[in-house]
Amino acid sequence: MKRIIRTLPFVIKQIIRSPIRTTLTLGGIAIAMFLFSFVESMRDGVTAATTATAEDATLVVYRENRYCPFTSNLPEFYSKKIERIEGVANVVPVQIMVNNCRASLDVVTYRGIPEGDLEKVLEPGWRIEDGDSASWMRRGDAAIVGEALAARRGLSVGDSFTAAGITVFVSGILESEAPQDRNVAYVRLPFLQESMKRGGTGSTVTQFSVRVNDPTTLDVVANAIDETFEHDEFPTSTRSEKAFVGQAAKDIIELVGFASWLGWGALFTVFALVANAIIIAMRDRIRDHAVLQTLGFTGSLIGAMVIIEGALLGLAGGAIGVFAAWLVTRIGRYSMTMEGLNVEISSDPFILVIGITVALALGVLAGIVPAWRVSRLEISQCFRAV
Amino acid sequence: MSLIECRKLSRIYNRGAEEIRPLDQLDLRIDAGGFVALMGPSGSGKTTLLNLLAGIDRPTSGELEIGGLSLGDLSRKELADWRSEQVGYVFQLYNLVPVLTAYENVELPLLLHPISSGERHRRVSAALDVVGIADRHSHYPRQLSGGQEQRVAIARAIVTEPTLLLADEPTGDLDRESATAVMELLSRLNKEQGRTVVMVTHDAKTAQYADVLLHLEKGRLIEQEEMAS
Repeated sequence: MKRIIRTLPFVIKQIIRSPIRTTLTLGGIAIAMFLFSFVESMRDGVTAATTATAEDATLVVYRENRYCPFTSNLPEFYSKKIERIEGVANVVPVQIMVNNCRASLDVVTYRGIPEGDLEKVLEPGWRIEDGDSASWMRRGDAAIVGEALAARRGLSVGDSFTAAGITVFVSGILESEAPQDRNVAYVRLPFLQESMKRGGTGSTVTQFSVRVNDPTTLDVVANAIDETFEHDEFPTSTRSEKAFVGQAAKDIIELVGFASWLGWGALFTVFALVANAIIIAMRDRIRDHAVLQTLGFTGSLIGAMVIIEGALLGLAGGAIGVFAAWLVTRIGRYSMTMEGLNVEISSDPFILVIGITVALALGVLAGIVPAWRVSRLEISQCFRAV
Repeated sequence: MSLIECRKLSRIYNRGAEEIRPLDQLDLRIDAGGFVALMGPSGSGKTTLLNLLAGIDRPTSGELEIGGLSLGDLSRKELADWRSEQVGYVFQLYNLVPVLTAYENVELPLLLHPISSGERHRRVSAALDVVGIADRHSHYPRQLSGGQEQRVAIARAIVTEPTLLLADEPTGDLDRESATAVMELLSRLNKEQGRTVVMVTHDAKTAQYADVLLHLEKGRLIEQEEMAS
């Protein structure tokens, strides 16, 4: 082991002092690991947005058989009826307006809510990072903007911005653990309804956000709500928020599922790149290996040096690619939005750790076969091969 | 006192159906502190003998003892460890590692030894001083002339202070002036540091630096000549 440590600087010099080979190899690994990490970030975002937990206590009441905020219209007075159902803690009518119906990485979603209901509709763990909710109450066109949306659009308190033909004033930036809250602009319900009158929505809303007292009664309450309106003019479909996102963003989830094949492809590319670089280096260095053996380096020590070289290439290239992907997702704060629901592209630092570990492991794996072959070569064989 | 003893030493290769015997029942003794030149036509077994003495090849039959140690009994790893401590090897084509500087090439064999970096630095500097190339320590092999490369290779061979210095046509790729300088250096290492030198050469002028000339032919020793000092 001590011998391996003593020869480490020699291995590093071999990598650094072959700049063209190293740059090309690291570039390839970095690009592949960037792709892998980006796909992992998307998968992580989908998981966070759709995986139910025991603490989930929010239901979304939508118009039955409607899948788009433009066609889901429910009378605002339904909230009074829903409030009376056993197990319901509070109900907030929400009007949804998006500036773009297509799948996009930069969709602005407005959520219109009654003046006093801001705190009720937000998921636990939120705080107004900048600005305050009092100014939101005072001003009719005020908006509390989710931090990811604000970062993506470069918005700060006091700015005005226009999306979908609606101009709002930023009165606060919202920090939250819930992806949906981080990516929307909360405006006052009458303001949004008024602004959308051209679309003829009147005093209807898109959905109701219902908080239940006991998370274990989520399904019971959902069924009770749907049964209440079963024979009404506007029947409802009620699901937990995570299930609702999972259903609405099905296309995105399928796309991300397909993209995971790209992630596997990227990993195979990393393996192939490192293995190829090592095999070519071994062929170029066959004389050097004979010399090392003549000097007293054992086959197993030379093999270990080869594996370390693979590991270092994997580690360095992986770190560059993974960190670049993390930086892009961190700065860009992208979210995939469909029908007013957001699936964030995660920038969780844990993806950094996973990516770098995977790249390191692939580097080691790619070095094993060349190392085994080199360690078994006889000196005379090496010299004959030159 | 003899350092090297070969008894009925043979090395046989099979090339297809053909059997090649570069060394055939060779008996030989080389004294400690001697300077021996191995001469003979191509295929006479000189380099094969040198490789056997260096422990980088194994005999097919017979016995080879160096410093009382039977090399045939050693495992691959034991042989490598023995080589790192007891043998310095100088190649005809220098075989320096191209991505390392002269200093780093000389330092390479010391990475196998459990010594401090300070001690390593002292030994490398001393070896570079001995071969007269200390001022070129930061040069890469491509920045050195053939004679300078061979001096660095010699420094690399002596830095571990081996008992046995083996050289395979060390001047074969050098001009006359550089060849003379290299041979004077080997001779000095033999005389002043008492290292046993075994050298393969085709060149009679180079062979004159040795104390003993061994003429091989078809894998056998045909003549042993003591040189006048």
